[in-house]
Amino acid sequence: MRIWIGLMVLAQLTMGGYAVAKNEAPVFKTAEAKHFNGAEGVELSPAFYDYFYAELRNELKKSKLVNDVIGEGEAVDDADAEKSVIINGTVTEYKKGSAVKNALIGFGAGMRSLKLDADVQRRSDKQNLCGMHVHVKIAPNWNEKTMAKFAAQLIVKDMKKELGSQKK
Amino acid sequence: MLAFHARAVADEPKPKPENIISVHLAEPVPPQKFERAPKLWITDVTDRSGNPQPMLVLKSRGGIFLDRQPTVIVREALEESLKSANLLATDANSADLMVRVYLFHFGLAEGSGLDFFGKVEFSTIVKNPKTGETSEVKATGTSIAKGAAKKKNVQKNVQDDLEESLKDATRNFLRGQQLKDAVATLWKAGEATPSAAAKSQ
Repeated sequence: MRIWIGLMVLAQLTMGGYAVAKNEAPVFKTAEAKHFNGAEGVELSPAFYDYFYAELRNELKKSKLVNDVIGEGEAVDDADAEKSVIINGTVTEYKKGSAVKNALIGFGAGMRSLKLDADVQRRSDKQNLCGMHVHVKIAPNWNEKTMAKFAAQLIVKDMKKELGSQKK
Repeated sequence: MLAFHARAVADEPKPKPENIISVHLAEPVPPQKFERAPKLWITDVTDRSGNPQPMLVLKSRGGIFLDRQPTVIVREALEESLKSANLLATDANSADLMVRVYLFHFGLAEGSGLDFFGKVEFSTIVKNPKTGETSEVKATGTSIAKGAAKKKNVQKNVQDDLEESLKDATRNFLRGQQLKDAVATLWKAGEATPSAAAKSQ
């Protein structure tokens, strides 16, 4: 009996989630992600910014927040400009971390850390729709590009939270 | 030393029918609308990647190879897309603008290790053959595909990833603001060559 009740609850939850996901309509027509810049003193390779740009676009596509994720510098019809956004940002801080500190002290010491600020602007009038501050921490022996993946996920999650309810 | 060298040479992946993938656009990319559409001609595609093995896409897992040179794949993608919108000139003489492509990257780039990061990057020099004026237009396409454990799935994901990044780069070029500006600057309305104007009518 308990198993059946458990299965029914699980099925209802799954169907509920599916129904919510299906009803989601894109908020914006197009979104253009720009390559982020590094603030002074941030030592990250150009390959990191390339990968982050690709990850951000990938996450935007998955989010269903926008109808079409366009490439950097692509032209948009004037009619669509009001319902289009540009995502721009800066990596404000990057700490490489220390494997020794991480192993000896633990409790988050020596973690690799990345902080970045991102802005979402409306294309037509360049009005700032929302600003995000993201902080990602990973183990010092992990690939720095994993941080890009997590940062992109956090930005899109924040965007969804801030702009998802707005029906443009 | 010789034994190690021989072993290293033996480990080099070789192209076989089962590890060759064919990358091409599933469908042509529609270019942007120009006020007065010029006829473009792709004069040449030059590989500037500096990659000694441009057809080797993935070295691990027995290797994955392309069936054609990346320059041929990019040329085909651009020509097909221009042709679909009637923007491709029939020959170099009838072209309003000539496009010379320099390919900087075609294939997989270094990613997080959890997935495949496909990247196609090229730069073009758009030239008006009558005036000799030129303008540079850059394009980049990226794509991220899931990693896989089985070799068959790895091959499929890499192929999808490259096709997506090729489509993205072609779209970035054909719908880019840079191309729009280049066409507006280099080919002003009324400058059409008599042969091109006659053909468009």
